[in-house]
Amino acid sequence: MMENLVYIALFAPFAGSLFSALFGMSPKQTFVGIVASSLLFISFAASATLAYHVYSTGAAVHVTMMEWISAGDLTIPFGFLVDQVSVTMMTVVTLVSTVVHIYSIGYMDHDKSFNRFFSYLSAFVFSMMILVMSDNFAGLFIGWEGVGVCSWLLIGFWYHKADQPREENPSISPSWAANEAFIVNRIADLGMLVGLFIIYWNVGSLQYDVVFAAVPELSGSVLNAAALALFIGAMGKSAQFPLHTWLTDAMEGPTPVSALIHAATMVTAGVFLVIRANPIFSATPEVSFFIAALGTFVALFAASMALVNRDLKRIIAFSTLSQLGYMFAAAGLGAYWIALFHLAAHAFFKALLFLGAGNVMHAMDGELDIFKMGGLKKAMNWTYIYMGVASLALAGIPVFAGFFSKDAIIETAFNEGTYVLWAILVLTAGMTAFYSFRQVFLTFHGKARYDESTLHPHEMYKFVLIAMSPLALLAVIAGFFMGGFQTFVTKLLPDYVMSDHTHHLIWVLTAVVLVFAVGGIWLAYKKYANGLKRDEELENSFIYKLLANQYYIPQFYEEFITKPYAMLSEHMWKDVDMKIVDATVDGIAKFLYKSGDGTRKMQTGNLSNYLNWMALGSVLLLVVAAISAMLS
Amino acid sequence: MIGLSHYLIVSALIFSIGLMGVLRRRNLLMLFFATEVMLNAVNIAFAAISHYYNDLTGQMFAFFIIAIAASEVAVGLGLLIVLYKKYGSLDLDDLASMKG
Amino acid sequence: MDNILSVLVFFPAIAGLLGFVVNKDSARAYGITVAAIEFFLSLWLWLSFDSSNAGMQFVELIPLIPDMGIGYYVGVDGISLFIILMATLMTLIGMMSMTITKNIKNMIITLLFLEMTMIGVFVALDAIIFYLFWELSLVPMLYIIGAWGGPLRVYASVKFFLYTFTGSLIMLVGMLFMAYVYHNLTGVWSFAITDWYSLVLPVNYQLWLFAAFFFGFAIKVPMFPFHTWLPYAHGQAPTIGSVILAAVLLKMGTYGFVRFSLPMFPDASVMMITPIAILAIIMIIYTAMVAYAQKDIKQVIAYSSVSHMGIIMLGIFAMNAEGISGSVFQMLSHGIVSGALFMLVGVIYDRRHTKLMSEFGGLASVMPKYAVIFGIMLMASVGLPLTIGFVGEFLVLLGFYQVSPIMTILAGTSIIIGAIYMLAVYKKTFFGPVTNEANKTLKDLDSKETWSLIPLVLIVIWLGVYPKPVLEPIDNSVKAMVSFMHEKAITQEAKDMIKVAKTDKGGF
Repeated sequence: MMENLVYIALFAPFAGSLFSALFGMSPKQTFVGIVASSLLFISFAASATLAYHVYSTGAAVHVTMMEWISAGDLTIPFGFLVDQVSVTMMTVVTLVSTVVHIYSIGYMDHDKSFNRFFSYLSAFVFSMMILVMSDNFAGLFIGWEGVGVCSWLLIGFWYHKADQPREENPSISPSWAANEAFIVNRIADLGMLVGLFIIYWNVGSLQYDVVFAAVPELSGSVLNAAALALFIGAMGKSAQFPLHTWLTDAMEGPTPVSALIHAATMVTAGVFLVIRANPIFSATPEVSFFIAALGTFVALFAASMALVNRDLKRIIAFSTLSQLGYMFAAAGLGAYWIALFHLAAHAFFKALLFLGAGNVMHAMDGELDIFKMGGLKKAMNWTYIYMGVASLALAGIPVFAGFFSKDAIIETAFNEGTYVLWAILVLTAGMTAFYSFRQVFLTFHGKARYDESTLHPHEMYKFVLIAMSPLALLAVIAGFFMGGFQTFVTKLLPDYVMSDHTHHLIWVLTAVVLVFAVGGIWLAYKKYANGLKRDEELENSFIYKLLANQYYIPQFYEEFITKPYAMLSEHMWKDVDMKIVDATVDGIAKFLYKSGDGTRKMQTGNLSNYLNWMALGSVLLLVVAAISAMLS
Repeated sequence: MIGLSHYLIVSALIFSIGLMGVLRRRNLLMLFFATEVMLNAVNIAFAAISHYYNDLTGQMFAFFIIAIAASEVAVGLGLLIVLYKKYGSLDLDDLASMKG
Repeated sequence: MDNILSVLVFFPAIAGLLGFVVNKDSARAYGITVAAIEFFLSLWLWLSFDSSNAGMQFVELIPLIPDMGIGYYVGVDGISLFIILMATLMTLIGMMSMTITKNIKNMIITLLFLEMTMIGVFVALDAIIFYLFWELSLVPMLYIIGAWGGPLRVYASVKFFLYTFTGSLIMLVGMLFMAYVYHNLTGVWSFAITDWYSLVLPVNYQLWLFAAFFFGFAIKVPMFPFHTWLPYAHGQAPTIGSVILAAVLLKMGTYGFVRFSLPMFPDASVMMITPIAILAIIMIIYTAMVAYAQKDIKQVIAYSSVSHMGIIMLGIFAMNAEGISGSVFQMLSHGIVSGALFMLVGVIYDRRHTKLMSEFGGLASVMPKYAVIFGIMLMASVGLPLTIGFVGEFLVLLGFYQVSPIMTILAGTSIIIGAIYMLAVYKKTFFGPVTNEANKTLKDLDSKETWSLIPLVLIVIWLGVYPKPVLEPIDNSVKAMVSFMHEKAITQEAKDMIKVAKTDKGGF
């Protein structure tokens, strides 16, 4: 029974994808979206049932479908493991996916590739389910690459758009951004593959249970190498510095895609990997600390870029990046269950935020510049509430989900005695509150800064707003389930509790974070709630420009990696391959041809000449014979 | 006392004269003569070495060469006459129909 | 049917001869029928093949020159079986998709003759027979490129012929010397490969012989720096020529390494791991970069072939069952995928008579079916899991990691730079707005093109999801071969390097 549910949860999205693909090239048919969404809901229901089953029995469901690759001593099955960690991910993924699917029926309403979109979107969910459900590293890698491809397809969904200069569109074009995302992820995937190789040759298997059981017997250097390699893989998917540029460019994709893939699910795969492989990471404190430090750095780094950005979706993308940093910080510090909890809570409120942004975009006819919005509160009351709730959750205001999860991470940093990380995370919490509400105020408050004669913003369809409500509800209440969640997942994950010392200070710590969060909101309110006052001096300052241009990192990559690579390739082809390698071959051929041509002249037809050559040859032979006789 | 080396020196000198003839002469008839000179130089060497080793094989070989040279001259001169009738010349520089 | 292999080898040739009397208009149908029968015969071979047996099966031996030990000696094992299947499949599919109308009868006859030589190479167990088919395969390809090729066809075909021929002659010298050594050591003459296997050679002999065989195989593969004939050959060849060349003819080289070099010279092979791995890595990285610089779609795929063959070479010298099985599987994968990609380029060339990427752009809007199939093949080419391309590449890299982690990481960059050039092609050709007027009216795939591509798509996915039916026989034979090499190796380094699989059942 439970086995069947596992298959239903896994293959329902796949069925939806295939069904939609059947109509992929025909014009829009609403039932395609409905069927795909229903199948997703079935998958969600199955996942939720499984979650209840795992919760009530405490036992994991493990199924092996068939053998996949078997060569030499390597055997990789298609095996699926539904335990506390994966069932959490499954439920979160299918829930957010179902909402996003229903949302997309409204959002992609006018798109002529409506059917194709659902096919890709469901395929993504299927890949993501493989990723989280697999019982071995190779299966995880299938999902890992699968979500990469679906992300490529979906970022480049509007492939027909032409490339633009970077100054006009920082992402250049959807197809450019899609390729960037795929290639950057591939760089990290190599790290991941190497991690798999290290594990296989030292353990002899890629099954989680076998590998984790073998961890105590492995040497420190092997574990460090494996952990580092796996984390490099995680860095790509979760867009950690320096592989982060693709995530903001990925905003070229349709907004539901950004909500599902580039906020709620796929980008958290890296965090999931660290949590899943926690026995390895627990055994490598140096690597884990590096993860925490990098995560903290990214949290601050991304938040700083969000402070000045004007693009509605990019701000949210940066905040995603920043929150992923928080998750890595928690996971790196050993608080795996807190990281997982923040992952789930973040999935709810960030998806909600993105979908809200999608509503705004829909209303504003594709406009994304928040400097050209304002006053949308009246026209879009529900969207305003949704985005407000999501922003409150993101900023970590009490009662809302983000407060519980983010606060726990910050406390963890304090509890571990890593006060520098703690300070940075607290500062970042303030920045998060500021940029979230800067965006909310600039979008919804103040006066309209767009041409009201041509543009009439309108609220999204009713059913879309209703579909978004579960996310809003969860963004509000998810935090209250923290205790239950802890007992649930710590059956599998190592428990993490604060020391007594931290426990005593908990109110002080919370208060500090709250002061920063409320301070950020207050600052945003002062500056932006009553309309936008442009500050030319600030906008021309070096820091502002640095942040607005993402520290010039994309430009740096282009100048120092992309262009040199293209130039080097050109040289390799024209100068090395053509002028050296091939020219050598042709040179030998030409030499033979020329020497034939040259020696042809010996054939004068004159017997006398021939005799001369003959005599010369005989003399030469005699000389050779004499020399060789002397030598021997 | 005239020894083996004297004979061999004479043989070598005559051979060289013949070789120079082969290399320098342009007339086919002269080439023939030069070849005969070389053959005879070899004959002298054969006879001398044969005597030196008290082995008759060398002298037999010399006779054999004389016989072959005679038949060769007979065939060769016949060919020369045909060639002369056809081209009206025995100069090698004129006979270059095999030029590549 | 005990002599199924002989039937497989000679049926196409005899049918090809009969083809001379076939009416010109029905030549194509005749060719497809023959190729289809041949393909079903090879399927039958697979069905009657005993997967659990790692040794040679369907063996036939007819002594031809008993005094010299030369005989008509053929057989298949798991390693060669699927390459034969791929050869018959690609010939069939290539013929189905063929759009050539000029001298169609000659083309059909040539292809059937080529099919004979290809299968002959893969079933031969006698070095002389192997060499005969090896060299004969050059003739039809020379004719195909030279007669139906592009403007530079004569240069390209002569270059192809002379280059590979030179390498083969060096290999022939190696074979003759091997037979001579065999005679010296055992007192009897034999050219049977199975006899040669049992011969334990001193290391210096192994090195010289390895070098001789290396030139023959390396030029065929083609390994860097012997690869430059390939872009010309592909650039000038008609679609069908490129398909067969990439899918099957290149595999002869890598197959030769597996069939001859490894089991015959295990010590030399182990000693040559580093130099060959370096060449393979250069192939992988350097040609991938060159591929990125190309302007012509077909040239990109031609260079990508070299890059992928680098992966195969690396796997062969991993000296463990994972790597070698992966390598053999990758041969199949590359054959199917690059064959399909060349066919896809042919589709667009037939419509526009150009292969330059700058002429295209936005084709995904105009030709969606074409874009989908191209996309699937692209993903298989970059080694996406659950497509055929992943299994081989993964196993090769996994296997070679045991030899050298650093070199594996270098070779592993292929998954990055492979994606770079393939995605660049896809973006330039299929994405963006349709800028060229001529592209706005292009027709999507017609039924002939679709039906010749669909089977390949199905195979790409089937063997990506469930490679076991193919991988298992390959793996059995490879495992047996690896333990045989381990037994046979005389130096301690070689014994240490060659890793016998624990699950080996033996039987080589």
